[in-house]
Amino acid sequence: MSIVYRILFSSALLVAAFNLRAQTPAGMAMIPEGNYLPLYAGNNRTSVAPFYIDKHPVTNGEFLKFLESEPGWKKSAVKRLFADEGYLKHWVSDGMYRSAEKNSPVVNISWFAAKKYCECQGKRLPTTAEWERVAEAGWTVADGSREPGFNEWILAMASKPAPRSLPAVGTTKANYYGVWDMHGLVWEWTLDFNSIMSTGESRAATGSGDGLFCAGGSATSGDVSNYAAFLRYALRSSLKAGHVLQNLGFRCAADKK
Amino acid sequence: MKKISRYFILLLAVTALSCSQMKQEAPSCCSTKQHESPEPLPAVSGESLFLLDSKWETYRNDTLKFEDLAGKPVVAAMIFTNCPSACPRIVADMKILEEGLTTAEREQVRFLLISMDPKRDNPEQMQKFASDHRLNPDWIMIRSDRMATLEMANVLGVRINPLDDGGFDHSNTIHILNKTGEIAYQQHGLALEPTELLKQIRTLIN
Repeated sequence: MSIVYRILFSSALLVAAFNLRAQTPAGMAMIPEGNYLPLYAGNNRTSVAPFYIDKHPVTNGEFLKFLESEPGWKKSAVKRLFADEGYLKHWVSDGMYRSAEKNSPVVNISWFAAKKYCECQGKRLPTTAEWERVAEAGWTVADGSREPGFNEWILAMASKPAPRSLPAVGTTKANYYGVWDMHGLVWEWTLDFNSIMSTGESRAATGSGDGLFCAGGSATSGDVSNYAAFLRYALRSSLKAGHVLQNLGFRCAADKK
Repeated sequence: MKKISRYFILLLAVTALSCSQMKQEAPSCCSTKQHESPEPLPAVSGESLFLLDSKWETYRNDTLKFEDLAGKPVVAAMIFTNCPSACPRIVADMKILEEGLTTAEREQVRFLLISMDPKRDNPEQMQKFASDHRLNPDWIMIRSDRMATLEMANVLGVRINPLDDGGFDHSNTIHILNKTGEIAYQQHGLALEPTELLKQIRTLIN
């Protein structure tokens, strides 16, 4: 009899395990609970709850589909409060991108538009902590800084001049979690990009921004070898939510329930 | 037999639980009425904060949408009630500004405090802050949820950095909205002479 129990029990476990795996929504990767090292935090790693993140940045093609149900976000209709003038300026018309760029990341997109897109997919933008946690991953290990050649590769990608036409998503390299294009394709919006205090503002506050003073040669930052993280940090600190850039896109994330 | 059925129940329960978690949630938004239909609000530009859909809770337990603020210029700031120093300073600056207005002018201006700490700033807490700081009864103090708060901060260009102790580093900005909800002027920094703000308000009410 006991063998029957065992079979039943292990099949229950198998079904459970299978279902847990199957829960990860299509096109997303599950990022287990963990932590990441913020730039300014010395060696204090910040813990990050488990979450899902899109494997690719959102493409022009996907964004066009969104506009079909949300015409208020078309180039001609978007409210200035929610996007600067250059919004979707790389598209050839109000409702169309260059056909070769269907699978390229959508850029010239404001934070408001990115936030709305994700909400309409039942998702949200990733927090900076979540995004950076995924970006820390190497190709074969969760901590990319331990992977030979990984930092050098990121630097090479970061210093490459932007091509006139962006390549398709999924053409760089997938990382340890199966997530593509965290480096080398476009910058990406995060939900809380506005949490970086610029120096002018931190004079009146107690200033976690102090840790980044003279960021270029900051001794208080956690990982001085991570030049690309400096660049991302500097970009976020300079952005406003209505801004659009020709190399700034986004991807979505979701809570893991 | 009992044991077997117990395992079956376990199996069923596990399957049911995981299936229910698999169920896709329907998209929660995609109702962009403010974009699709011309709203009854006249003469609201594409830069007006009245375009915001978010709902806010006041310290008097009322609901507020930004379009409700139409008709009078608004002096606004984002704060949180547990704020040790900067926020009381902003509020003090706003009160100095208030005192600089004549009674007639004062009646034509709204004062608004927007909480950046939706978790802790419930109506009771905001009410306590209002009475501790002896705010005139027509001051409005509001909070919403995290997403609406983030959106508001981004519309106003206010940077907010949550700290481990539950507090925030934040920009210290006083915003002036005109009668149709556009940002007319922003003063960055604390304890400044209210001269420029007064001038701006007077332009807007006349």
